[in-house]
Amino acid sequence: MKAIIRKILPLLGVVALYFLLMYLKSIKVMNAYHIQVLMFAGVNIMMTVSLNIVNGFTGQFCIGHAGFMSLGAYGASIVTTLIFGGYHVAENLRIPVFLLGLLVGGIVAGFVGLLIGIPTLKLKGDYLAIVTLAFGEIVRATLRLIEPIGAARGMIGIPAYTNFAWVLFFVVVTLILARNFIYSRYGRACLAIRDNEIAADSMGVNTSKYKIISFVFAAFIAGIAGGLYAHIMSFVQPDTFSFVKSSDYLVYLYAGGTGSLTGSILGALVLTVLPEALRAFGNLTNWRIVIYAVILVVIMLYRPLGICGGKELPFLKINRKSLYEKNFFGRNKDRKPEMPELSER
Amino acid sequence: MSFLEIKNLSIEFGGLRAVDDFNLSLKQGELIAIIGPNGAGKTTVFNMLTGLYAPTSGSIDLNGESLLGLKPFQFAQKGIARTFQNIRLFADSTVIDNVKMAYTHKSRETFFQCLFRTPEMVRQERELDEHALKLLERFGLAGQADLLAKNLPYGAQRRLEIVRALMLDPKILLLDEPVAGMVTTELDDIATMVKKLRDELGLTIILIEHHMNFVMPIADRIKVLNFGQTIAEGEAEEIQRNPDVIAAYLGGGYVYANA
Repeated sequence: MKAIIRKILPLLGVVALYFLLMYLKSIKVMNAYHIQVLMFAGVNIMMTVSLNIVNGFTGQFCIGHAGFMSLGAYGASIVTTLIFGGYHVAENLRIPVFLLGLLVGGIVAGFVGLLIGIPTLKLKGDYLAIVTLAFGEIVRATLRLIEPIGAARGMIGIPAYTNFAWVLFFVVVTLILARNFIYSRYGRACLAIRDNEIAADSMGVNTSKYKIISFVFAAFIAGIAGGLYAHIMSFVQPDTFSFVKSSDYLVYLYAGGTGSLTGSILGALVLTVLPEALRAFGNLTNWRIVIYAVILVVIMLYRPLGICGGKELPFLKINRKSLYEKNFFGRNKDRKPEMPELSER
Repeated sequence: MSFLEIKNLSIEFGGLRAVDDFNLSLKQGELIAIIGPNGAGKTTVFNMLTGLYAPTSGSIDLNGESLLGLKPFQFAQKGIARTFQNIRLFADSTVIDNVKMAYTHKSRETFFQCLFRTPEMVRQERELDEHALKLLERFGLAGQADLLAKNLPYGAQRRLEIVRALMLDPKILLLDEPVAGMVTTELDDIATMVKKLRDELGLTIILIEHHMNFVMPIADRIKVLNFGQTIAEGEAEEIQRNPDVIAAYLGGGYVYANA
């Protein structure tokens, strides 16, 4: 019973948060702009979690993550805008079309992740970084050449289907799936690869396979996030997803702390909201980017492992101790042999 | 019947023949020690037996099936588990996770079961937890199950590496200097443990070690390598009397008194 409450409580918290924000908006404490900043923060949280799966949990180094985001953004927009004609689609079909678009965006990104993952994940460290960097640029350069989707001018007229509720929903789903992934045999294999690839190999972990799985999974999430992004902006352009965007996500990830979902949430949330919040200080407006950078330096100096540094909020981890302490430690608490008694196998 | 058969195993790195014509035939339940001075090629043999290096020539057969050309993880899945000379634990993971990581390829959890944490997946995880804890308890590590591996004392890290290898349910266990840097009491603990692995679990063990008073009492046979060549093979007493071994390894004129 207690376990069920513990499971449901965070979800209730999210619902409460939603209604609180909507209430604040209705009494004009928050305006549409504030809500939009939070929506971007949500998309950035998804992107950072996705990057965390590759860089933080699997120990690879992808620096072209915006490439997957753009594939998702274009994939989703092509479905909703070019195939189903944007707002011309019947009212009651809009949500299914939107979800279909997101799914297609995710699948496109995941599929391309698979294609580039197979040859590149054999590389290590800097080499993988260079290849993923090149990948991000190839996607951008290619999208600039395709005329039907607007080439370098970008794609306009994308219906703004994404609202705050959708963003919140997808952030929660992403967090739950990412958490479940990490606390399973897949996540364990990824952590083993991160901690010591040779040992993982020698313990029967097919390292290439699990690296590719985590890469594709992350690319899929990034694709969904890209789809959401496109339907907030109503407009996508290849140059939005340049290396600058990829490096933003790296900053969110490392400021928040690798290997921690809590860190990804905090990093993306704080660093998305902060530059916008600094706009409010009238005469500081021109200094805001400097302040932003200084805060980043301070985080790195005083918390080199990121804000969270491997720590996790309770509801973002699965407490495995409770899985076994009752039926194991409870029974054998008094008996802790110093040296083994090897009995039956 | 010998179930691990290694014939004429050689490997060259550039012009250097690191291991030359290594032959070994193992029966189930045997404990073989490989000794030799630093740089003799002992660990290189292990690296070939676990697929980390591809031998230049020769053959490795397990139960009549050739293992050549397989990847390291496939060697492990076929039942050859190892520990490392310089400990290679998953340092930032907990002790129990270290052990569970060696169960990855046997786990029947599917990707979607994992993503949605179905009751079936949770049940399997629980079983795995119990299995891992039982193994840890047997080697006196259950109390530390939730510590990070890097925070364990040195001796416990060595033991954890062995427990992790056992989680693979191996047919052959390769121990690379399991008592390197240990004091005498810890050394006796590991010796008892290794003997029990053989006697009670029926494991076949190949051991690399420098400590003579560790190797001599427990090994069925000893092979001596020097500069990649096998210079002697036999039981402990024979080896100790072999003049080549004394010259190459124990030092000219020095007779090992303690064994």
